[in-house]
Amino acid sequence: MLGKLTWSAIPFAEPLPLITSIVVLAVIGGVLAWITAKGHWGYLWHEWITSVDHKRIGIMYVMLGLIMLLRGFSDALLMRTHLAMASGVNQGYLPPEHFNQIFSAHGTIMIFFVAMPLVAGMMNFILPLQLGVRDVAFPTMNSVSFWLTASGALLINVSLFIGEFARTGWLAYPPLSELQYSPGVGVDYYLWSVQITGIGTMLSAVNLVTTILKLRAPGMRYTRMPVFCWTALASNLVMLAIFPILTACLAMLTLDRYLGFHFFTTDGGGNAMMFVNLVWMWGHPEVYALVLPAFGIYSEVVSTFSSKPLFGYRSMVTASMVICILSCMVWLHHFFTMGAGADVNAFFGIATMIIAVPTGVKIFNWLFTMYGGRVRFEVPMLWTLGFMITFVTGGLTGVLLAVPPVDFIVHNSQFLVAHFHHVIISGVVFGLFAGYSYWFPKAFGFRLHDGLGKAAFWCWFFGFYLAWMPMYVIGLMGATRRMQHYDDTSWQPYMIASACGAGLILCGVLFQAAQLVVSIRNREQLRDTTGDPWDGRSLEWSTSSPPPAFNFAVLPDVRGEEAYWGMKQRAIAQRQLANAPAYAAIEMPRNTPIGFITAFCASFTGFALVWHIWWLVLLGLVAVFVAFVRFGWRREDEVEIPASEVARLDQARRAARSTALADLTDDRREMADAALALAATAPHQLGHDGDREAPLSARHDGPAERHIVTSFGFWVFLLTDIVMFSALFATYAVLSGATDGGPTPHILFSRSTVGVETVCLLFSTFTCGLALLAAKRRNTGLTQLLLAATGLLGAGFLAIELREFATLIAEGAGPSRSAFLSGFFALVGCHGLHVAAGLVWLTTLTAQIAKRGFEPKVQRKLLCFGLFWHALDIVWVAVFTIVYLFGTSL
Amino acid sequence: MTGHPPRPTSPDTAPGEESDSFLSGSAGYIIGLALALALTGISFWASQSNLLWHPGIPIGLCVLAVAQMGIHLVFFLHITTGPDNTNNVLALAFGLIIVFLVIAGSLWIMANLNYPMMPMEQVMRMQS
Repeated sequence: MLGKLTWSAIPFAEPLPLITSIVVLAVIGGVLAWITAKGHWGYLWHEWITSVDHKRIGIMYVMLGLIMLLRGFSDALLMRTHLAMASGVNQGYLPPEHFNQIFSAHGTIMIFFVAMPLVAGMMNFILPLQLGVRDVAFPTMNSVSFWLTASGALLINVSLFIGEFARTGWLAYPPLSELQYSPGVGVDYYLWSVQITGIGTMLSAVNLVTTILKLRAPGMRYTRMPVFCWTALASNLVMLAIFPILTACLAMLTLDRYLGFHFFTTDGGGNAMMFVNLVWMWGHPEVYALVLPAFGIYSEVVSTFSSKPLFGYRSMVTASMVICILSCMVWLHHFFTMGAGADVNAFFGIATMIIAVPTGVKIFNWLFTMYGGRVRFEVPMLWTLGFMITFVTGGLTGVLLAVPPVDFIVHNSQFLVAHFHHVIISGVVFGLFAGYSYWFPKAFGFRLHDGLGKAAFWCWFFGFYLAWMPMYVIGLMGATRRMQHYDDTSWQPYMIASACGAGLILCGVLFQAAQLVVSIRNREQLRDTTGDPWDGRSLEWSTSSPPPAFNFAVLPDVRGEEAYWGMKQRAIAQRQLANAPAYAAIEMPRNTPIGFITAFCASFTGFALVWHIWWLVLLGLVAVFVAFVRFGWRREDEVEIPASEVARLDQARRAARSTALADLTDDRREMADAALALAATAPHQLGHDGDREAPLSARHDGPAERHIVTSFGFWVFLLTDIVMFSALFATYAVLSGATDGGPTPHILFSRSTVGVETVCLLFSTFTCGLALLAAKRRNTGLTQLLLAATGLLGAGFLAIELREFATLIAEGAGPSRSAFLSGFFALVGCHGLHVAAGLVWLTTLTAQIAKRGFEPKVQRKLLCFGLFWHALDIVWVAVFTIVYLFGTSL
Repeated sequence: MTGHPPRPTSPDTAPGEESDSFLSGSAGYIIGLALALALTGISFWASQSNLLWHPGIPIGLCVLAVAQMGIHLVFFLHITTGPDNTNNVLALAFGLIIVFLVIAGSLWIMANLNYPMMPMEQVMRMQS
């Protein structure tokens, strides 16, 4: 009934996890009781949990990240205090098996559930505001993404109370993570929580890439987007490229553990190095996906607080995109020492060093932005300065590690651990804190307390140096990473210093908590009435704080770089705001619980998969499917905000702006006059970059039409799917020779069967195309007929494939026979699963056409289905060539 | 707040967008299907033929597969090189770079990792 789950899963004998569990449960219970007592459930449900507003979702992401930061940071404190003691005869207070779980959980949580949600939250909140639009491309999917991330976070924390977590390190290298060496549920918790959050991240990346490329305010050409939008684009492109690889890689490890496949096992021809290769193909670009948005935040902050346009906008954009591509070409430097030859190591070493070039360009751009500016040392600027000083040295240790011979000496040492904490804390964490204090007033309408913010910064800054500089030293002295105890007592002073550094960071964290509490209490004094507390330059500052649900009453008219700065200077010079626009009613997406329901089911399904409770797995999957079908049939997708309400909210904003404008000093007006005069002579300054001279093709007319947005988003999604297939193809290619003495492709594959399968698929793609043509002409009968033909041909393909699989398994050539067969079943089976999913989708679509006819929503889905079905054919072309034709001819 | 002309015909096309005419649209699909079937047939034939130089066959099969994927992209997915398709093509190009890096990179690295390894027979011989 409950699979492997018994009472022994609760850690009664271990006081530390048990007490933590009880305290956490008590806190959660207390919060829930407080919400119930105050009667806040209705508000929470309607305004937050079911919200599809990108601002609300962004804030929830950040809250999730901050809560998880507390968890990850307490793990860090445990490790640091333990290591300060565990020297010589003293064994410290954490037993090895517990210590191993702690460092694995620390890494997993800090990357997947702290950095990722914080980055996603900032991008979600800010991107539509900076682009001058009302929401992201797919608001409902946005909610699904967030809740899936939250579900993964829940699952990883459940492992603390029920069962155990992985003891394998944050990337769960096989063969250690294989069933043979890690028989417990720890690795399964790791796999499913990361897999669930990974899917959420992938969907979020599809969403944000589509938003940036297809939804921008009128006039917002690519070269006028704020740098944060560019770095977010680069970051999300990286995520699109790498998360499908992680999904495939972890899915293969899961198959090894659950169904006895032989991808990465020590027997059956498995190759653990393929896991290391694939996982770093995700892992290295991942850190760039995290740091790129932080670079964007620094750019915004430096420019705002230096009161100058960003120096070298175009070089900044180029550098971001170069990093985006280069970051995907360096992954081998994580396993220089694992046996590659000098040629491969040299190539990846040099590629790694080259990344320092665009990064260096950015550093110089920030310095030159500050040069000659009026720098205001507000809290966001302090984080940025702290970053610039710290990151340069951290980056230099990275260049050092990129030299393969050096890496042979310091790999797996505390030197390496110091390096990546150095760049991630200064690069990503400082950036997120800068963004947090910079955009907090925009999100909530009041600023954060200044003094406490500065205190927090200084504690973090010096705490970081105290905690990590000693680690470089003992790394060079020979201390390895993931070390639970050390005999060399001369390391202890360094470990104690490091623990003190962690304590100083703890003070920083406490100051941040205090800052939040004090700021909420004093919010009336800290109120931002104008919506532009920092004298900002991009469009998010042109709306009120917090922005109304629709962001902008009228989409802004962008006339140059730094759209809002230009508008503001014109208003100041003319001593009045631009004329009030004509207000119209605005349609906004309707809230829906589908995201929450998905995550609810995903949490139970994930938990059930960890403990092998198969009925619950099935129940969860069916429930999600039913929920999605119901959502797909929803009649009303939008709510209308009446023009009077829009006018009322916008007039309040304009009144506040007018007051602020009247209060400006003459000095400020003269500056604006001078700026405008300068702009007249140098038109590229101040947002008059010659729009009229621009060719028609370079103009930007504002957000794209709905069906273009939808199908482009789906197109991008398909590309990620193809990348996932490419990981499976690569694995198959590497393992295809590993037959482990079992049958070879020559013996197993039948060319005539594949030929029939191929013809079925080709004709189905043909009928699918014709069906779409018929649908465009709104011919219901013909469309349904052609779709039915598509479905039958697809079902025929699937039936033949299933028969082939059944025969192979009956002959003893199942996936657990050899690595080659594992690769074969995974690759071809994954394609087959896609066909099966397509058939289910096709069924619901035909039902919808029968019931609803060709309403726009149905047409959009048909367009996506067509893309999906044609793409499956393209994958099949690669499958029959590489698997079957190569297999039978070579 | 004026200065922007009323929205002209969109300079942007959805990927997979069908043409308006059923006739010319279906003609495209028929040509596509014929070409795809022909290329598939040639692939199947070439993989077993004794008429061709044997070591060249894998490369030939890859070329045929890539050509067929191109046919699918053009005739079924309606990807063109026109300015209205720039975004679609750029996204595709980005995807292709990543696919290339994943496959070529993995093959290169994994082959290189195996290279310095002593063949298993040799290890056995040394142990005996």
